[in-house]
Amino acid sequence: MAVEKCVISLFDDETRAASAIEALRGSPWKLERVHSPIPSDKILNALKLKKSRVGYFTLAGGIIGFFSGVGLAIYTGIQWNLIVSGKPVVAWIPFLIVGFEFTILFAVFGNVLGLLFQTNLPEFQSLRIYDQRCSGEHFGVLASCAEGEENKLMAFFQEKGGEARLI
Amino acid sequence: MVDLTRRHFIKILGIGSLTFAPGCTSRPEKNLFSNVQAPEDMVTGKATWYASTCRECPAGCGILAKNKEGRVIKIEGNPLHPVNQGRLCMRGQAGVQGVYNPDRIRRPLLKKKDGWQALSFQEAEAFLKEKIDAATQKGENRVHMLTEVVGRSLSALFDDALHKWRSQPPLVFEPFAYESLKTANQRVFGLDGLPSYRMEEADFLLSFGADFLETWLSPVEYGRKFKQMHAVNDGRKGFFVHVSPYQSLTCANADLWLSCYPDAEVVIGLGLIREAFQHGRGKSLSSELRDALQDISSPFTKDKVAELSGVDLDLYGKLITRLQQARKPLIFGTGTGAIGSNSLQVDTVANLLNTLLDPELGLLEFQNRHLVETASRRSEVLTFFKGLAKEPEGVLLLNNVNPAFALPSSGSPVDVLKQESLFTVSFSNFMDDTSRLADLILPVRLPLETWDEYSGTSHIVSMVQPTMAGLTGAPHLGDLFLRLAYGEKSPAKNFQEYLSIKLFSSGVIKDQKDWVNMLREGGLFEKHASGKPSPQWISGDEVRRTLGSVSPPRNAELTFFAAPSLRFFDGRGANRPWLCEVPDPLSKVAWQSPVSINPQTLRQRGLKQGDVVELRSQWGTMEAPVYETEGVRPGVLLMSLGQGHELFGRYAEGMGTNPFKLLSPEVEPVAGSPIFTVNLTSFRSTGRSLGSAHTEGSQGFRTQFGIHYRLRLAHTDGSKVQHGRKIALTTELQDLGKEEKEQKPGLGMWDFPLVLPLPEGYDKKRDVYPPHDHQIYRWAMVVDLDRCIGCNACAAACYAENNVGIVGPDRIREGREMAWLSIERYLDEKNLKKVTFLPMLCQHCDNAPCESVCPVFAPHHSKEGLNNQIFNRCIGTRFCSQNCPYKVRRFNWFDWKWPKPLHLQLNPDVTVRSKGVMEKCSFCVQRIKEAHGLAKDEKREIRDGEVQPACVQTCPTKALVFGNLMDKNSQVRKLTEDWRAYQVMGHLNTKPAVIYLKKVVQEI
Amino acid sequence: MSGMTYAQIEQTVLHTLRPAPLKYWAVVALTFLGLLIGAGCWAYQIAVGIGVGGQNIPVVWGTYLINFVFWVGIAHSGTLISAILYLFRAGWRNPIARAAETMTVFAVCIAGLFPFIHLGRVWMVYYILPYPNERTLWPNFQSPLVFDVVAISTYLTVSSLFWYTGMLPDLAIVRDRATGLRKRIFQMISLGWTGRHEQWRHYTRAYLFFAALATPLVISVHSVVSWDFALGIVPGWHSTIFAPYFVAGAIHSGLAMVLTLIIPLRRIFHYEAFITENILDNIAKTIIFTGLIVGYAYLVEYFLAWYSHNIVEQESFRWRAFGHYSLQFWVMVICNTVVPLLFFFRKVRRSIPWLFAISVLINIGMWYERFVIIIGGVAHDFMPNAWGLYSPSIIEYGILLGSFSMFFFLFLLFVKHLPSVSMTELKEGIHQGGDHGR
Repeated sequence: MAVEKCVISLFDDETRAASAIEALRGSPWKLERVHSPIPSDKILNALKLKKSRVGYFTLAGGIIGFFSGVGLAIYTGIQWNLIVSGKPVVAWIPFLIVGFEFTILFAVFGNVLGLLFQTNLPEFQSLRIYDQRCSGEHFGVLASCAEGEENKLMAFFQEKGGEARLI
Repeated sequence: MVDLTRRHFIKILGIGSLTFAPGCTSRPEKNLFSNVQAPEDMVTGKATWYASTCRECPAGCGILAKNKEGRVIKIEGNPLHPVNQGRLCMRGQAGVQGVYNPDRIRRPLLKKKDGWQALSFQEAEAFLKEKIDAATQKGENRVHMLTEVVGRSLSALFDDALHKWRSQPPLVFEPFAYESLKTANQRVFGLDGLPSYRMEEADFLLSFGADFLETWLSPVEYGRKFKQMHAVNDGRKGFFVHVSPYQSLTCANADLWLSCYPDAEVVIGLGLIREAFQHGRGKSLSSELRDALQDISSPFTKDKVAELSGVDLDLYGKLITRLQQARKPLIFGTGTGAIGSNSLQVDTVANLLNTLLDPELGLLEFQNRHLVETASRRSEVLTFFKGLAKEPEGVLLLNNVNPAFALPSSGSPVDVLKQESLFTVSFSNFMDDTSRLADLILPVRLPLETWDEYSGTSHIVSMVQPTMAGLTGAPHLGDLFLRLAYGEKSPAKNFQEYLSIKLFSSGVIKDQKDWVNMLREGGLFEKHASGKPSPQWISGDEVRRTLGSVSPPRNAELTFFAAPSLRFFDGRGANRPWLCEVPDPLSKVAWQSPVSINPQTLRQRGLKQGDVVELRSQWGTMEAPVYETEGVRPGVLLMSLGQGHELFGRYAEGMGTNPFKLLSPEVEPVAGSPIFTVNLTSFRSTGRSLGSAHTEGSQGFRTQFGIHYRLRLAHTDGSKVQHGRKIALTTELQDLGKEEKEQKPGLGMWDFPLVLPLPEGYDKKRDVYPPHDHQIYRWAMVVDLDRCIGCNACAAACYAENNVGIVGPDRIREGREMAWLSIERYLDEKNLKKVTFLPMLCQHCDNAPCESVCPVFAPHHSKEGLNNQIFNRCIGTRFCSQNCPYKVRRFNWFDWKWPKPLHLQLNPDVTVRSKGVMEKCSFCVQRIKEAHGLAKDEKREIRDGEVQPACVQTCPTKALVFGNLMDKNSQVRKLTEDWRAYQVMGHLNTKPAVIYLKKVVQEI
Repeated sequence: MSGMTYAQIEQTVLHTLRPAPLKYWAVVALTFLGLLIGAGCWAYQIAVGIGVGGQNIPVVWGTYLINFVFWVGIAHSGTLISAILYLFRAGWRNPIARAAETMTVFAVCIAGLFPFIHLGRVWMVYYILPYPNERTLWPNFQSPLVFDVVAISTYLTVSSLFWYTGMLPDLAIVRDRATGLRKRIFQMISLGWTGRHEQWRHYTRAYLFFAALATPLVISVHSVVSWDFALGIVPGWHSTIFAPYFVAGAIHSGLAMVLTLIIPLRRIFHYEAFITENILDNIAKTIIFTGLIVGYAYLVEYFLAWYSHNIVEQESFRWRAFGHYSLQFWVMVICNTVVPLLFFFRKVRRSIPWLFAISVLINIGMWYERFVIIIGGVAHDFMPNAWGLYSPSIIEYGILLGSFSMFFFLFLLFVKHLPSVSMTELKEGIHQGGDHGR
């Protein structure tokens, strides 16, 4: 396919940005990505994204954590079978506490890993096609078009009320 | 009868025939471990036991010294020995710390203008020989000698030697020489000596101060005998009444303390004589004696006595009834040495009472007498010094005596020691108050390193043999004297041979075999038949002379008493760290000697415990912190003797104060006994205060309950009472068996049942967790509070066996004492005069709270039920101690020091703990392991009584019993079925393996 | 704070990151000195032995564990504010969340140090970790102290991750506004965050889970800490109320500490615009609530002691109020339960000096609460013969000083080098009227 051109357009208001995104869907142009200073519901809705799957990582982490916690306690306990305070060597109540803490710990690990994995952070590529104002007060919408259509695209954005820029 | 267990038999067999081989060389061993010079019976890692005799006090108990790799690490009683029957007191336990004392003098010292000059032993000996010969040339009586009580053979040698030197036999100096008792015996029984008593056969004891559980004559022996007559025995137990102005440890064990004015004992005694006549006693007496006695005693009616002596009239009445009812009463006079100025009268009265109440005198063994009777009277000692002062040319030999310390300082005869013309030689191993004054210090071997024969009572022969090679290369005193006196023409090549010759000639032994047997068994113990007493009665006018003028008790405002010390005896023990570190059982104060004062007196003076007061008598002045106790009468000030050495090594110097300073240099004219009481001319606060660090202690509550916390007094206890908790329990004799039988078990402190640390001790109703089994053994201990006399022997033995650290007074003040076993004393909340002693040690609970809280399993439950503490696993979170309801765990806050050569005493079977580690009683697990090995070799199980922890082994009254609970027939198991059995704080359901038997008290 | 623009927010916050004046570094140096003193004391203690402290038998736990519990307590409100209030959608938390979280992280670090300082043989501390070794010696997972190890380390990890994750977008902002070295550093630590919709999509979700996990964690951690005591049989400790009682106490002290920190903070950094009086007011109200819970716990303890008919328990509590440590006890009661009641007056809630003073008082009171529990319990427990007292030694005071110095040292460094208020959340707040909290 032909070489693509990217145009980024900055909106100072999420509503406009959102409508622009809506409009883009109907247009021939391809929406690359949206940079926003805040997690804006309007935009995310406009993008019609599916629910994040981070939760599965978290859940998996939690389950692994619980079993490894209790498992560790039991395994180490039966190494020498030392009786303390007349309690059984495998005493469930104390071990559940260990299990609980491990659950949380591993769930959080899962959570973080999930986040990094899904957002594939850390990555520094996208910084090259990026406008620093997007972390400030602007909502940046990045779209790509075939060679030669860039002016149309920029016009489209300007009419949507954003200031467009060819990259 | 001696119970010779197999274990002891092994010990004794262990003593090989030629065991004296390492002993009799006077060359210093380069290396104690040197196997080149090892005796044939020395096997590295295996202990060898040498039988000998304890010389820490004149009683002369038999000991077995445990020698490992050539060094003695522990002393235990010799079970064959009739005096102590295998038990030992705390002073005996500390004997090893004499040998290994870091301040021991290792080379002879000659006094020069510019301080001490060290000589070789040969030089010193030659030098001394010169001096003596020179003195002998000069004329008669130029060589004088002052010695402690020594065995017959040695004293014979002394006599011969001094005779050769044309001088008088030596004078025997003992600070406690029982002058008045001897005189009283001489007067009443015509026997100038100290017969021993068949206390165990008595059913009623009355003591006018005799502290036979602490220092009096033979404490271990009488401790045992006392409990034989005083322990519960099919529902009955003997009575013991103590008459005294203050409460000694012995008194604390009495059923009744009849507190009287100072010097009022004699009044009570005479009163009792009167009552005896009233009850028609004294038929057997000669009429004139009877008349005399009646005349003298008649004025002392009940009310008169009560008025003069300040005793409770109705208690006195009870005493009279009991005394008359008694079948075999036994009356003792004053305490060790003598106390008041009228102690002769008291002792005489005591003897007369004995004769009145038991004309047979069946409880006195006139033939079997205490060797300490050979000690000279104080009056003679003073004359001796006066003589020296007059014509001081010559040589004075001092054998292990410390007159400079033990004689009242004012106008002290000791000044003669300083005189130029008198060449004073001290054979002491320590730079003490006396050796300092000597011109030559020639240390000789200490009893554990030397040959001798010391028979505490006359019907036995008890050996002293080297239990290890000499540590310093000092000569045997005996050898020294042989060489000095005879040179080449010596009757024996060394004192050991001299000894055997003596014993042979006296017919004690017939041949080498007997000799070896004596060494194996520690002596010759078959009893000589003690014949009937042949008392030649005191004459009537003798009585009149003695008792005619009973001085009405001086009711001075403040009377000061200096009492012999359970821990230091007359002070000779003051440089033994264990004796300093183990607190006094009554005051719980360690390292210091406070002056005990009644709270009432304190309040009058506006003083608080810990305040430093200045005491002034016409003879001297001293300062001491006060300790508040109901154990002394108002107006009585009590301090124990033995501390306050100006010089006696690092452990004694500057510790406590020396009450001898306050005492009169005069002696009681007739008996020539020193007087250990004095009237104070002034008593005032110095304003300074060691102060109670914690005010809670000194205010409010204490007045009510006697609570206080660790004071700047090096104090090891918190509250003196148990706040109605189930800790140290007593029961009335008449309640025997009745108590708590019908009560149905519950979960409260008082209705919680006794739960054995065994599967049967578990019950769904009480226990969340299921029981756990043990393999064959479940070790446990039974502590009979009725037998415990609080003598601290167990505590000292524990220090010796388990390398327990010595922390010193400052650390104890901070509450960091390390005792694994401590005697806790609890006072009755209703009557603070009633004392119960509670040996407190790790309870080895079946559900030990300390275990589960440790993050690293350092404490855990062993297969045999022990609560193991793994020192090198411990990281020091200290949660275990926090969670131990009995607070018996001890923590190493620092690395404790064993200054050389004290470290040679350390038990190689027990780890020395480093800083940051928790430790506690292990039930002497090393001994259990040893027994395991033995049993395994013989393919059998460990026998009951085969394992004895150090504390159990040494307890003079057999209050502690150790054994296996799994064995239904073991002694411990049987004792747990005693209805007196209970567990301290049992309702916590920790299932302690230390089970206590209630103390049985009886109303007189 | 409505009416503020994104620009203003950024400007105010970024303003705080500008090169610091000399007096700032002077204060930092001072706190660092304090830190060194503490370190010196610890070194001395390791060399000579734990005995240089005041602990003894029976009081084997001293200020070290008091400080431990104290700092863990401080650590709690951070998570409370950032996680629990987040779940409750209490928008007023946004401006203070960052500071609170930071406080949490540092407080946990310090708390985590104290068990080490407390150990008799710290050089053997690794015994407590489940590391494989040839003798297969493992820690005892039945011991409350091992619960501690697990809980505290989990808490430290989680709260740090939470803190960092929450800071990502702000780090990106700093990066985008910075130049030179700082830009490069922030580029690194912001992991190349660009606020792409993909990132936001997962981020928001993950953040929610974070909050959802941190909430039970924070409750469990202080419960576990309370079990260090409640699982012991010491009178005054062995009680089921301890977990909730400690959690409430922790939050109580934590909120107080938040006040103590943000009041100067907003003054110095001119945060008045978003850390408004209403927010302080809200914190004050929460403190009333926690204070009442704590007061209730105190009462219940006495009720239980009386109701149990257990003379040991009763004596222990009698002594607590009238014994040697009665002063500490009454300080505790008054500072923690009586003083906070002043917050019922709106005037007090809205007067900065009052807020600050009371917050400090509560901190003191909470420290003494731990003192009363940890010292008072064992000093006077089962065996009267073993009763004893304790007073901290100079070394312990040195280490106490060190711990506070370390805390402020770290916090000072933080406020000048990282955004001490979450810009992103503030922006969010404006936009979605998130500040409905008021």
